[in-house]
Amino acid sequence: MGTGIVLHIGTIMILSPLLLGIIAKTKAFFAGRWGPPLLQAYYDIWKLFRKGNVYSTTTTWIFQAAPAVGLATVLVSSVLMPLGGLKAPLSFWGDILLFVCFYGLARFLTIIASLDTGSSFEGMGASREAVFSCLAEVVLFLDLIILALLSGKLVLSQMLKGDASSSWHLAGPAFLLMGLSYFMVLLAENARIPVDDPATHLELTMVHEVMVLDHSGWDLAYILYGSAVKLFVLGGVLVNVLVPSHGLSPSMQTGVFLGGMVLLALGIGVVESCMARLRLNRVPLLLIGAFVLALIGVLVVLLKGV
Amino acid sequence: MTIVLYSLTILTSVLGMVSAIGVLVTGVPVHYRLGLRMPLGEFHVGIDPLSAFFLLTITVLFLLAGIYGHGYLKDQGKKGLNAHYAFYLLALVSLMLLVTAQDAVLFLLAWEMVTISSYFLIVFHDDRKTVRDAGYLFLIAAHTGTFCLWLMFFLMGQHAGSMDFDQMALASFPATLAGVLFILGMVGFGVKTGFIPLHIWLPHAHPAAPSHVSAVLSAVMIKMGIYGLMRMILIIKVFPQWCAMVLLLAGMISGVGGVLYALGQHEIKKLLAYHSIENIGIITLGLGIGLWGQIEHNELVALIGYAGALLHVFNHAVFKGLLFLSAGSVIRSTHTGEIDRLGGLLKYLPWTGHLFLIGSLSICGLPLFNGFISEWFVFRALFEGMFHLKMDALVFSGTGIVALALMGGLAAACFAKVFGAVFLGNSRSLDNTQLKESSRLLRVPMAVLGGICLWVGLFPGTMVSFALAAASTIASVKLSPAMEGVVISPLLTAVLVLFILIAVTAILFLFKRMAAKCLPVERAPTWGCGYSAPTARMQYTASSFAEPILRIFRNVLGYGVKGAKLQGYFPKTQEVSSHVVEASEDLIFRPAFGAVRSLCAKLKIIQCGHTQVYLLYIFVFLLLLLVWKIV
Repeated sequence: MGTGIVLHIGTIMILSPLLLGIIAKTKAFFAGRWGPPLLQAYYDIWKLFRKGNVYSTTTTWIFQAAPAVGLATVLVSSVLMPLGGLKAPLSFWGDILLFVCFYGLARFLTIIASLDTGSSFEGMGASREAVFSCLAEVVLFLDLIILALLSGKLVLSQMLKGDASSSWHLAGPAFLLMGLSYFMVLLAENARIPVDDPATHLELTMVHEVMVLDHSGWDLAYILYGSAVKLFVLGGVLVNVLVPSHGLSPSMQTGVFLGGMVLLALGIGVVESCMARLRLNRVPLLLIGAFVLALIGVLVVLLKGV
Repeated sequence: MTIVLYSLTILTSVLGMVSAIGVLVTGVPVHYRLGLRMPLGEFHVGIDPLSAFFLLTITVLFLLAGIYGHGYLKDQGKKGLNAHYAFYLLALVSLMLLVTAQDAVLFLLAWEMVTISSYFLIVFHDDRKTVRDAGYLFLIAAHTGTFCLWLMFFLMGQHAGSMDFDQMALASFPATLAGVLFILGMVGFGVKTGFIPLHIWLPHAHPAAPSHVSAVLSAVMIKMGIYGLMRMILIIKVFPQWCAMVLLLAGMISGVGGVLYALGQHEIKKLLAYHSIENIGIITLGLGIGLWGQIEHNELVALIGYAGALLHVFNHAVFKGLLFLSAGSVIRSTHTGEIDRLGGLLKYLPWTGHLFLIGSLSICGLPLFNGFISEWFVFRALFEGMFHLKMDALVFSGTGIVALALMGGLAAACFAKVFGAVFLGNSRSLDNTQLKESSRLLRVPMAVLGGICLWVGLFPGTMVSFALAAASTIASVKLSPAMEGVVISPLLTAVLVLFILIAVTAILFLFKRMAAKCLPVERAPTWGCGYSAPTARMQYTASSFAEPILRIFRNVLGYGVKGAKLQGYFPKTQEVSSHVVEASEDLIFRPAFGAVRSLCAKLKIIQCGHTQVYLLYIFVFLLLLLVWKIV
């Protein structure tokens, strides 16, 4: 049990930044460049850990606390999620609600931390983040309803495993719709194109990046690392559902899961390479689209009978 | 005199609290019948777990808000404080009577006393016209509701043959009658509680009242409608299924509508008032799914739903009380409640600011605080409803889950807006250095409420078992230890995870602290993206913060911005204002009441002012009565 937990957390903590590297490499491939090294995200985080902090004179302790809380929430939420064959170290009835609320807590603190600086740019980013996450959360809950209905459970690890992936032949369309809408939420929640561009150069158009404009040193490292872990965990939910690994041995399942994660990162890279960022007032339409997809998914489940 | 009333208030609430806790811990209801017979009924009071739960909520809030109020009003320079304290005490006593009354007539009597005493509490600043109007509106709305309640209780009494709640509970009500009673109850109690579209008095009365009164108004008085509905469910027991649907729908509409309207507000207390409507929506969702479970004889769904609703009643009372009290502290220090005029108060009013933050985190249902516990229950009840109930319940509880998720997100946006604009950044128009933190008399009650928020959030066991006891009373089932385990044990694991979260956060924070010792730490102005002369007025305002959300829902809200167009290369000063349309007030009730008024104006013809004519009217009326009697 003890080694299981260490293995579980260790895998997530060590492999998360790799996803960012894979995405960057994919984008570079599409652009015909070599791109930054695969481990660039690790270098960036390591660099930040060796840097001092600059705090704005306007800010209070909230500004300093938010990054630590943000990283802590994503790390703790990861123990609720299975990694293929590696079972979730903790699971209980209704843990999914805690899982979602953790992200809510992190987001709330990030938003008020950015308002703490009194900068109009960061206020803008905070306002956008608040809107998009509101809509994204609704879609997320609809997706969870689909999973809950299909598995008859309210436990994250059981909603993702077991019954769910073995009933592919019964509920394929519902899974596909759910996967598609969840993918859009994933892009929105992790500040990827087409919702937000992590590599943009204009503060005026940014969402997530502009919120953390004033953070530096360890705080920024926490934020950067936290967003990598968040991508891994939220992406892991999707991979657990969509990549069928039922009936394999636990170690094989974990292997298949990690392969799925790489595929997911490639997928995000492809989307980022093929699409431009949407205009800000178009983003709600994208999320409403995701909502409709998930709603159809729920209807499909209901019509098939539960 | 003041000191007598003050100590009586404290004594009454402490005694009430002790007896409520006594009943909740032992689980043995107490009853008291006074032999004195009143017309139509009897003086019969009793505390069952349901009453006790509400009694606890009432007394905790009245005690703390009372202490706060004493400090709040001290230097207002207004005469007649004694009358105010007397009405405060009367409100407390009548609320206690209301939740302990076991007889319909006594209940209605107490209901009326609550209305009257709240009216006098609301119109404390009766030199202002807006306050008088708000009080008047409250009085009209409350009495319109009471009218339905009289009808409801008389129908119940007529069917059961007694006005005593115990006797009524023994009778079985046919489905049609139960439906009619339910509708009357929904309207009658709904006006008090503030279901959209019956909520119109709420956003006017709350900002008009002094802050400690707004706190008890929002925390306790509007909950009496919820208590009434719960008591009604306890008595009638068997409802047609559409009643649960109506409750769930009312919950969704009030919840989402309340928070959307709140986002459009610019005044802090008005915003909080709309949030009360949102939280009533959450409570009603729990109540609705609980009723559905009861109708389909599923104890688990019924218990979790009711317990969630009850727990949210208590939690909302605590955090909304806290928010109103700290908003009052802000208004007292700065003399304004306009969100866009404030800013950066956290540094100058640290107690108020941090307690407001605790309240905000709680109301958003975020983990570590009490709002999360009750929202977790309501969410769970809705999910259990999906698993255990039939198809149509599945659709409704699924919609309920989505609505609750939307409410959570919007509430977070709304409180990020308020907290960010009022307490963070720099002041937009005031000189903050002149501000003084409130006195200890104001801080202590707020701190206690904040403490309760954290206590329930991290050690929910006690309050959950109290809520379960009350829930099993409503559902008329016996609570088995096995059932209690099914309900509570996942929650305790969740709380364990919360402690892990605290530990991990502390470790990460410590690492950073240690690193900060050997790394350079500088203080510098906020990065202005290259602009070298930023001013505080350039900060993002609360109105701009909420604008994107309001724009998405503009058709529902009637959201509009006036005067945002700038012209020319060197535009002159421009006024910009944004507002939401209060649809039910402006589009439904105002025209409807206007029509009634013009109709009544036409009847003025018969009022000519001659005594003889009035005597003639009486004579004609008597004649008609005689004819009716003979025929």
